[in-house]
Amino acid sequence: MIAENTQTQMRKGILEYCVLLIISRGEIYASDIIAELKSAKLLVVEGTLYPLLTRLKNNGLLSYNWVESTSGPPRKYYLLTPEGTAILGQLDHTWQELAYAITTSKKGTDLESETQINLTKS
Amino acid sequence: MKKTLNINIGNSIIHLEEDAYEMLTVYLNEVKHHFAKNADDFEIVTDIENRIAEMFGEILTAQQKQVIDIQDVQSVIAQMGSVKDFESSEEQEEMAGNYHAMPPHDGIKKLYRDTDQAMVAGVCVGLGHYLNIEARWIRLAALISVFIGGSGILIYLIMWIVIPRAESKSEKMAMRGEEANLRGFMNSHLNPLVKQSRGFIAEFFEFLGNFINGTGKMVLKVVATTVVIFGSFILLMLIIGLAGVFGMWDADVYNNFPFSIINEAYFSTMVFAAFIVFLIPILALVLFSIRVAFNGKPINKTLSYGLLMVWLVGVAVSVFYIAKVSAEFKESAEFAQVTELVPHKTIVLAIDKTRFFTKEDSVNYKIDPVNYKGRRILSDGRGPFDQPRNMYLRLEKSENGKMTLSENYSAQGKTFETALKNAQNIHYDFQQVDSVLNFSSALQLVKQANYRGQEVSLALSVPVGTHLKINRDFNSYLNGYNFWDCYENDDQEFSEWVMTDTGLKCLSEHKDADSDH
Repeated sequence: MIAENTQTQMRKGILEYCVLLIISRGEIYASDIIAELKSAKLLVVEGTLYPLLTRLKNNGLLSYNWVESTSGPPRKYYLLTPEGTAILGQLDHTWQELAYAITTSKKGTDLESETQINLTKS
Repeated sequence: MKKTLNINIGNSIIHLEEDAYEMLTVYLNEVKHHFAKNADDFEIVTDIENRIAEMFGEILTAQQKQVIDIQDVQSVIAQMGSVKDFESSEEQEEMAGNYHAMPPHDGIKKLYRDTDQAMVAGVCVGLGHYLNIEARWIRLAALISVFIGGSGILIYLIMWIVIPRAESKSEKMAMRGEEANLRGFMNSHLNPLVKQSRGFIAEFFEFLGNFINGTGKMVLKVVATTVVIFGSFILLMLIIGLAGVFGMWDADVYNNFPFSIINEAYFSTMVFAAFIVFLIPILALVLFSIRVAFNGKPINKTLSYGLLMVWLVGVAVSVFYIAKVSAEFKESAEFAQVTELVPHKTIVLAIDKTRFFTKEDSVNYKIDPVNYKGRRILSDGRGPFDQPRNMYLRLEKSENGKMTLSENYSAQGKTFETALKNAQNIHYDFQQVDSVLNFSSALQLVKQANYRGQEVSLALSVPVGTHLKINRDFNSYLNGYNFWDCYENDDQEFSEWVMTDTGLKCLSEHKDADSDH
């Protein structure tokens, strides 16, 4: 139970960070975000994303444009607001700190270079 | 072949198979329910709906088909994630205070009506789920309460209206106290998941329809069988009755009331018409009941129209003769004759229950009228039915000191002449033997005749001071006197009266009054 809780909390925090990262690469449609998250093996179901996006948008981190679609209703394409970009910078910083903390905790101080590689992959 | 429905989701029109539609509705309701407490619920749900619409569009183009089936819905739901998946990923969200994933229920029982296991509307089963008692005990209690004053029916109806019925799968699970999850839906998608929400009235009639189709059909068959048995019995009785009436025809049925109302010439036709009027509806009812009870073929159309025609003819003939006979009561006539009687200080009023020896008597009692020398025999009853009373007596104070009997004969007829003739046909027997006045209990007819309201009304004028001893038998022929208070003991044969200036007074009452003073 405790493990589950911790997992959920970790995943949740990282999910938000990853969503912001994906959007930061340019205007993107929700289902494309999902596809990317899935390939990153982070998200299981789509339904979880919509509340998250809405919350981020309402907190001013995201905004969206309506784009006409050929295969259905118009789509919401999300992009980062300047505020979102600023916060993403903060999160980047935090993540580096966390990654450092984890690698240090795991293997000792001498394996810093490996952590750097992992970070660029994600 | 499957029924399809059109839905508008995310501004696209999608054709869905019915079961797919039901599953999607459950899912969307769950999603709405889940996000209901979220401030942005509308936006989230719209996003999800739009995405679902898009996925449907993709499926339809990819598979080159036109209708979404249940597998498609299942795959879409799997992709979108169930409410349970949402919950697990949001468990900690409430800490942020932003939104709270509202589970519809987490093992908490709710009171619903269980229409799946319902006998009537599922109130008892629902209560059973809620109270964790087997439904049969609650049903038993409900049934008993119906018999004790019937309050159970009212309570049941109120609960029917007040308690919502468990419509969605999640409600059904809440009813049983299970935690809702979508796996349940997936497994049981073949069951009817959602019934459309309807008002109480609509549900009541739906129930009534089902009841008539199921239990009601049984009851109807039992009723129909009973009708067949009793109807056949009545039919048999009618036929026997008809045969009986015609069989007795040559005897004296005709002379007895009420048969004596009908003219002899009309009698057989009218009885037969009346027989048809009663026979055919009962016959039709029996035939119809046979059809209901044994799922028989409908009655032949020609036969049913034929029966209807015969019945109408029967009604027409009956009405015609009833009108004809009624016309014979149109006019009334009466005449009176006054006889002077020999006054006595004390007179005795007695009912003479004998009458003329008639031809019918000789048949009834097997007495040869030639050998029988006596003029009268004792009268018994007056036929199968009581003849209406046709003798009335009034006691009056004589103004001139003489004792007289005024006899007033009246009868009815088609015209005044026939009415008068009918009245003249009346014979009434009255005899004075010394101080005893013998009144016949009923009038007699000189010639055999139909009943035409023949009546004799008598007025006996008695001088003031005359004592009267009235026979017990007379009591029912004299109205307006309290005979029972006038007896000193119960088996007294006569009550004693005296004529005064103010009318008839009971003698024993006088004694009572005297002794009081």
